[in-house]
This record gives sequence, C-alpha cells and structure tokens, in this order.
Amino acid sequence: MTGETNLTPVFVRLKLSLLRNGLRQSGGRRAAYVASAVVVVLFGALQLLGLIALHGNRHALSVVVLLVAVLALGWTVMPLFFPSGDETLDPTRLVMLPLRPRPLVRALLTASLVGIGPLFTLLLLAGSVIAVAHGGTAYAVGVVAVVLGLLVCVALARAVAAANIRLLTSRKGRDLAVLSGLVIAIGAQLVNFGAQHLGSSGLSQLDPLADVLKWVPPASAIGAVDSVSDGSYGVAALQLALTAGALMLLLAVWSRHLTRLMTSPDGSTLQAAEPAARERTAGGLARLLPAGRTGTVMERSLRYIWRDPKTKAAWVTSLAIGLIVPVFNALQGTGSIYFACFAAGMLGIQMYNQFGQDTSAFWMVATTISSAHDAYVELRGRALALLVITLPYATLVTVVTTAMLGDWPRLPEVLGLSFALLGAMLATGAWTSARFPYSIPQEGYKNVAPGQAGLAWISIFGGMVSAALLSAPVIVATIWANVAQDGGQWGWLLLPAGAAYGAGITLAGLRLAAPRTAARLPEILTAVSKG
Amino acid sequence: MVSTAAVRVQGLWKRFGQQVAVAGIDLELPAGKFIGLVGPNGAGKTTTLSMVTGLLRPDQGSVEVVGHDVWRDPVAVKARIGVLPEGLRLFERLSGRELLGYSGRLRGLPGAEVDKRATQLLDVLDLAGAQHKLVVDYSTGMRKKIGLAAALLHNPEVLFLDEPFEGVDPVSAQTIRGVLERYTASGATVVFSSHVMELVESLCDWVAVMAAGRIRAHGTLAEVRGEAASLQQAFLELVGAGGRDTGSNLDWLGGGAR
Repeated sequence: MTGETNLTPVFVRLKLSLLRNGLRQSGGRRAAYVASAVVVVLFGALQLLGLIALHGNRHALSVVVLLVAVLALGWTVMPLFFPSGDETLDPTRLVMLPLRPRPLVRALLTASLVGIGPLFTLLLLAGSVIAVAHGGTAYAVGVVAVVLGLLVCVALARAVAAANIRLLTSRKGRDLAVLSGLVIAIGAQLVNFGAQHLGSSGLSQLDPLADVLKWVPPASAIGAVDSVSDGSYGVAALQLALTAGALMLLLAVWSRHLTRLMTSPDGSTLQAAEPAARERTAGGLARLLPAGRTGTVMERSLRYIWRDPKTKAAWVTSLAIGLIVPVFNALQGTGSIYFACFAAGMLGIQMYNQFGQDTSAFWMVATTISSAHDAYVELRGRALALLVITLPYATLVTVVTTAMLGDWPRLPEVLGLSFALLGAMLATGAWTSARFPYSIPQEGYKNVAPGQAGLAWISIFGGMVSAALLSAPVIVATIWANVAQDGGQWGWLLLPAGAAYGAGITLAGLRLAAPRTAARLPEILTAVSKG
Repeated sequence: MVSTAAVRVQGLWKRFGQQVAVAGIDLELPAGKFIGLVGPNGAGKTTTLSMVTGLLRPDQGSVEVVGHDVWRDPVAVKARIGVLPEGLRLFERLSGRELLGYSGRLRGLPGAEVDKRATQLLDVLDLAGAQHKLVVDYSTGMRKKIGLAAALLHNPEVLFLDEPFEGVDPVSAQTIRGVLERYTASGATVVFSSHVMELVESLCDWVAVMAAGRIRAHGTLAEVRGEAASLQQAFLELVGAGGRDTGSNLDWLGGGAR
C-alpha cells in the first residue's frame, strides 16, 4: 500500500539534482551559491567557536535559547519571503504523481535536510548544546536535542509553506516577496540596535525572556540539555517531550495540508468563484482632494503608495531611513540637528522617475496630455500627493530630532532648510522624470531595467547634486546665521524664507518640466515600457 | 480641411535599429465603418496603430485623424480617439471602477457623468460583479473588457483596438462584439487589428491587409476577398503563403502506429 519503492532516496536525489541544475544555469548563480556556502560555513564555524567559548558562562543558556528561538523564527518566515527558493517546497508540483501522504512527508522531510540552511542550523544547535552541557548524560541528551531541534525547524518551514501555498503562488504572495528585503533590512537594524543595547547593559537582561523561551520548542530541546546538566531529569524529560510533541504536531499539520493540496483543485480555478468583496475605502479620500485632474492624479498616486508593492517598498524605505538617520544619531549622542533634513531629502527622491513608477500604464496618462498645461497639472498633482505625506512627516521628524537634542532655537532654520531642500528635490525630480525616465521592473528586487542603469544614475545623482546646488542660497543663509556676529537673531527668518524658496523653486521646476513632458510623451512611454 | 476619412496616413515609416517595422504606408480609412487591420505576427500592425494614436513617434510621414494632424494638433485628436493598446499595462492596482473613474476624470469629464457611464459600461460588459476587484487580479478577457470600457468612456469618434480578441474567451468576445457593433451603428469608426481572419470577415466591412511593414491590399471586404473562397484564402495568397504544404516529413504523425 505504501508504495513498492522507497521514496526517500528519490526525493533526496531530486533535491540534489535541482540544486545542481540551478547552479549550472549561470556562472553568477554558481558563484553566489559557493560564496554564500562559504560564508555560512565560516559564520557557522565562528559562532560554533563562540558558543564553545561561552561554555560555563552564567548567561550561556539565555544566549543559546534566544539564538535557537530566532533561528526557528527565521525558518518560519523564510518560506513566506522566498517561496521559489526551494522547488520541492511546492507540493503542487507533485500532484499528478500517485503518492501516499505518509511516505511523502517522510521523503520530503529528509530531502529538506539537504542544503546550506540545515547545515547552518546543525552547527548552531551543536554549538548551543556544547555551550550548556556539563557531563556525559547531558551530551547524550544533546545529540537527541540537536536532531529534534533540526527536525522541528525544517518541519516548521514545510508546514508554513504548505499551509500558505495558495497565498504564496498568488499575486498577494508575490507582492509580499517584494517587501521581504525591506522587512529583513529593518529587522537587521532592530537587531543591531538591540545588540548594541545589550552590549552596554549586560546579558542578564535576557534571563527573563530565556525563562519563557526554554519551554518553547525547538529551544526547549536545548533547555532540556541544560536541565540535565543541572541534574533535573524530570524537567529535562518534559522539555524533550514538548519538543517531540511539537514535531509530531507540525508533521500532522503539514501532512493534513499536503493531503488537501494534492486532492483539491488548485487556487487559480477556485479564485474565479470567490465573491468579490472589496469595500471602497478611498471614497472619503476623494472628497478631500481638489476636483479635476489635480485631485484625480493625487488620488491615484496616493492609492499606489499603499497598493503597489514596488512603490510601497520605496516609500517605506524612504520613510524609515528619513527617521532612523536623524533619530538614531540623536539617540547615540552623535547627532546634529541638521540630520533632520534627511527626512525631506529621502522623501523628495520619490518625485524622481515619476513616469517610470507608472510602468507602461503611462500610456493612459500620455493619451490624456495634449498640452504643456495638461502636463503641468499632471506633474503638480503628483508633487502635491507627495507633499501630503512629506510635509507633515519632515516637520515631525525635525521637531522630534530637535526635542531629543533640546536645540529649540535652531528649529526654525532647520525647518526652513528642510523645506528648501524638499522644494529643490521636487523641482529636479519633475525635470529628470521628463528628461531621464527609466523602467522599473515589476518582478524581483531590481529597480532599474537592464541597460538603463546609467540613466537611473544620471537621474538620481545628477538630480541630487543639482538639488543641493539649488538649495545653496538657503544653506549659505543658514551658515551666515550661525557664523555672523548677530546672525543668530535672524535665524527664525529662515523658516518663512526657506518655505517660500522651496515653494517657488518647485513651481519653477514644474513649469520647466511640463513642456518637456508634453513634447516627449512617446519617448517617455518607450523608456518606461521596458520592465 | 474637412474630410470624410476617419484616418489618413501618408508615407509612414518606422525603423527599430536595422529592422524596418513600417515601410512607407499610405492609407485612407473611411469614417463610420468597422475596419480590420489584418496581417501575420510581426507585420507592423501594433507599430502602425501606436503611431496613428500618438503613442509612438514615426520616423517619417503624417497621420491625420478626423482631419486633424496627430502630432501638430494633439488637443483635437486626443479628445476624439479611444485607444486599447496591446502589450501595455493598465493601472492595475486600481479596481475596475476606480480605473474608469480615473480615466474619465483625466479626460476632463465631470465626475458624476463619469460614474454614470462607468456603471453602465461595467454592466453591459458584464464586469459589475468584479468592479471592486483590482485589475491586477483580472483575467485576460476581463482586462480587455475594462480596457475597452476605458477607451469608450469619453465617447470617441474613432476607436483604435489592438488585438482586442487575443486570449479572450468566447463569452467575453461576444460581449465585446455586441458593444462594438452598437457603437459603429451610431456612425462611429472602429479600427482594430487581428490575425484571426474568420473574425475579421464576420465583423468588418472594410479591411486593410498588412505584411512586412507594407499595406498589401485595402478596400471593402468584397474587394479584398475578390475571387477567393474566404478572406483567409485571399490573405494567404496576398502574403505569399498560399501554396505552402505541411510537407511529408511528418508522415509518422497520427494513425496510432508507433
């Protein structure tokens, strides 16, 4: 009944072939794989050494339990962000084959132990056991703990992938994948910040967290090793049983999803039958915006910030960096109040390559622009949509940074400088949007279509340098206010002056960009349609 | 200049690098007709339609739509034409209804009127049930229909459709057909490209045959068809593919024997 041939070696070989063939596809991919393998092995070996060095430390358990928990979290989210990373993860590919769930689960589980990720996990788990184990019994339990921990991690990834395969192969899943890089980048920032914080205030802070985590699988397996070292065998048995139970549960969940996936029609046919229930959330938004082309353009731009994964990722990056740079610098005491201008500068970048953000849908805009005035209203609408978010945000970041540094007298001049810089970015952004448009591919992580990287560099860097030059009068005035004998008492004047300068230069930039846009519609469309 | 031609093309050329996509087209399309632009893949149909609708700049030549030059008088032309291009995206992160609202308002129609027309178009095109779904989740047929609705919303005099039936299921195709027939019956002009001859034959009263960047024949359906049994036959002769046999190399194919 369970099949005449043993499936496990077949799937392990399949995994190896997929790996090999994937590498054969391109030299770059092979190099990337080998490099990442080397890095992982080196990193794994280093942390192994580090964990061995931790042996005997009072906080060793807290550290390793937390590490294992973070690792398990990584295994959980990995399939959500990189669904195409492992083709054997998608069981729907096997749907035409006559397979029974039990041997299939066993085979897939074994196959997924092949790879860099499991190797790294193995190293980390082994290191964790060495860090906390004392005595022969503890090491013996440690071996069991490593095996259990590794299996739980892998089963976790598989169960999550199987449960979400509908999501992962759908449009929403692909949208999620575009955002994943961002989540990882911000997560890394937070980890970095947390590590610095720990470095300054000691490992003992981890202890309460570890007290909980040592009962949560798969970290509970490491907890068991520690318990055995302490001589509390009952606790250890409980922790091991908890881990084994978690493994059984995960396998059961995975097996159930797998069976359902293999025996029911796939998502693409089901989707059509779903009722289209999507309420109109933006109805209120439209009423607040001006009528005519301006409001229409603003509404679409604002909707796209939220709905288009590429645009959203770009905005979140700008918002995060615009906040993190001034605020973290202020937190660490190395900050200058002028870092607050970062918010305006980062958000101003969103004005660049406006039409590239439309992709080839720009034709819909192009067919409705028949004069320089139309183009002016179009560009102005986009700039206004940007300002709706940027103006309050840049103001907020500036005020927060000022509050953290307690440098209130300088608030007006920094705000003025921010507004002038923002105006210059909008002006140069509008102009380069018309002059140097380029395609943004909708799939994957690239933000420039092949062959247009030069164009993108000219657009962004040329634009930023020009923006800096354009804000020079306000920068000079700020320097004067700080250097001159009685300049300080004129500092407040920089707020209205900077705001007026920014507004004026934006209008001038839009006026210059509009006729260029109107005259170059077909060329712009060609340039942005390569993605 | 007052003219009865919906579209007048003179000496139209377009090169992409070494390749000549459109090699000197002169064409006059009569107003109030259902016009088919037919040709094999790569004949230059999309390039021609893009140039006629102002989405691609020709290397040479002039295009007039209802008497106005496309490149010198875009204000007059853009308000009078509707376009459904092939291979270009829509603003797919809008719902069907939002897309129509956006498109109509960009063209300067009053909001209430846009909403009224959008409701009717969604209804007629059988999209009312999916109107709040994002266009990115639409099927090919639904995309063509919502594109058609956006192209019709401002009631253009001339409608240009590039492969409107490509990848469209029979039900959607019939719906599109019904709307287009009603539209031309009111005196408007439809110009559409296709490589499906049966479709062109059953829909159009005027045809232009294109191959390798040139117009090979044009005129009423009967004129172009001439002596041939069907438009398909006439077309194959025109583009010089009439006598090609599938050959005897596949003599093993079929028949059940291995």
